[in-house]
Amino acid sequence: MRKRTLQRGLTAFWWFTLAFLYLPLAVVVLFSFNAANSAASFTGVSLRWYHQLMGNEEILSAFANSLVLAITSSVMALGIGCLIGYGMYRHRHRKLGWLIVLIYLPIVLPDIVFGISEMAFFVQIHRLTGLLQPGLGTMIIAHVTFQIPFVALIVYSRFVGLDPTLFEAAKDLYASPLKRVVHFMLPTIKPALISAFFLSFTLSVDDFVISFFTAGPESATLPIYIWGAIKKGVSPEINAIATLMIGAVAIAAIMSLLFSRRRPA
Amino acid sequence: MNETITADAIASSHPRTAEAAAEGEASRQASAIEMQGLHKRFGRATVALDGVDLTIEAGEFFTLLGPSGCGKTTLLRILAGLEEADDGRLAIGGRDITEVPPHRRSVNTVFQSYALFPHLSVRDNLAFGLKMRGMAAAARHAKVDEIADFIKLGDLVDRRVDQLSGGQRQRIALARALVCEPDVLLLDEPLSALDAGLRSQLQVELLRVQKRLGMTFVFVTHDQDEAMVMSDRIAVLNGGVIQQVGPPREVYEHPANAFVARFMGHDNLYPVTGRQGSRLATALGELTTAEAGEGELLLIRPETLDLLPGEVAGDNHLPAVVVERLYRGSHAEYRLEVGDTTLQATLNNRGRHLPEVGDRVTITVAPDDLITLSE
Repeated sequence: MRKRTLQRGLTAFWWFTLAFLYLPLAVVVLFSFNAANSAASFTGVSLRWYHQLMGNEEILSAFANSLVLAITSSVMALGIGCLIGYGMYRHRHRKLGWLIVLIYLPIVLPDIVFGISEMAFFVQIHRLTGLLQPGLGTMIIAHVTFQIPFVALIVYSRFVGLDPTLFEAAKDLYASPLKRVVHFMLPTIKPALISAFFLSFTLSVDDFVISFFTAGPESATLPIYIWGAIKKGVSPEINAIATLMIGAVAIAAIMSLLFSRRRPA
Repeated sequence: MNETITADAIASSHPRTAEAAAEGEASRQASAIEMQGLHKRFGRATVALDGVDLTIEAGEFFTLLGPSGCGKTTLLRILAGLEEADDGRLAIGGRDITEVPPHRRSVNTVFQSYALFPHLSVRDNLAFGLKMRGMAAAARHAKVDEIADFIKLGDLVDRRVDQLSGGQRQRIALARALVCEPDVLLLDEPLSALDAGLRSQLQVELLRVQKRLGMTFVFVTHDQDEAMVMSDRIAVLNGGVIQQVGPPREVYEHPANAFVARFMGHDNLYPVTGRQGSRLATALGELTTAEAGEGELLLIRPETLDLLPGEVAGDNHLPAVVVERLYRGSHAEYRLEVGDTTLQATLNNRGRHLPEVGDRVTITVAPDDLITLSE
């Protein structure tokens, strides 16, 4: 009897936690479809705010910036992180534990510290060489920097999970070094790469702090635009943007999860 | 003239039909292996191979036998090119391949873990080697069907790797290596992960495949029974040194030293405490041998002994007491005590009297069956 009570209590707690996490999001989504320009009362369903979004040049440009930034940085991080992940795997027997800690560090570093140091670094470089003017370029570099550890760790863990004799079997079956990459390694880690891409994508779209410090005047992303807009008050338009972002990030996160769970088949 | 085109032209001018493969008409020349002074060290302390000279004949089923850490796997990996020897030469079919990387050697391996690619179907696993060599898709397909037929894989070809049992994986791994038609096939304890029944079934199958193809097989195992069943010749290794090379009967019946004798399962080894011509003094008593060896250990194989009921006097007759009897149907295994010394004997069950535990018996052995060994 007591056991059943405990069970019910835990179940209730689970629903409470879920509600706590998702109700605020639900409110935003709901009010993005509100016919009235009000955050207090819901008067009817309308796509009015979405229409308004489509006509707002500033929002469209921020949206484009976010997309270009997320895709470009994710692709670059995928390439570099994949090489690092493989390197970590290949040399895992040498005592390189400290290197792995080094890879973890950017993950645990507070974003604001990371953002400020990136900004200071870019400013110095710009002062000395005239290169790296704040803008989409510097943002891409900053994003790639924080995405790499995630990609490297995902790729590394996929390699560690493989039977090491597979690498030897590929050699034994006449695969040259290049063919081993194309016909064995890349296909084998493909699910890991796809998962890493979507994770990088979400991280990039989510990021505000680091973007804020490394952005230029023309390169505002959606989070930066929202930050600027809410200083003038929360408009239902913001709810619509937020809803679209929730959708995009949820899809990317689900894709990442699906591919990371998929067995190497 | 482009080298690959020439090689392709030669390959296609000698088509190997399904019938030829099935009938075992060895149109392809099997290749001999020569090893000279192979040395291999891991780190500073571990010597894996300490000067191995060995010739493996073309078309031979050759087994490298020894305990773990004896260097047998290292030797196999050097043949495959997965490990590089520190010193020494290696030639296959008269061509020196010491420096040739694994993907350019006409050698294929059946790995202990099978190492089937999880991202590929069974069919694509089988075709992998052919694809890497640049064979066209249609020809690959035909080859894979041919080998699947030959190894009797049936509908396994269309399955996924993770749907296969251990025995099935083993056969796919064998087929994947065979389909490449290498000069030499290497097998690294390919049966050790299987249960006993399946194992002996696959032993027979493997042996038949080798005889039909006439391919040179180099087989690694730590199981002396398996080695004796399969091999044309066996090399027994210990501490990176070859102890003996010979056909199974020779290695079993005339081990070169005490290590080989113990490894082949012989327990009846007794120090020779004195020697006068053909008379040997041992803890068992005085025995006459036909050989003129100088070894300090006497080897008595259990199956060469006979047991007579009661006490019978005579040359090479030893009074004994039965301490233990394991009845195995086709034969019985005995533990006997001669004074303070124990002795194993195996008696064939041919309707004869099988002494019971506690019986007093007389052990007899022919002088021809007594040999002496060195440590």
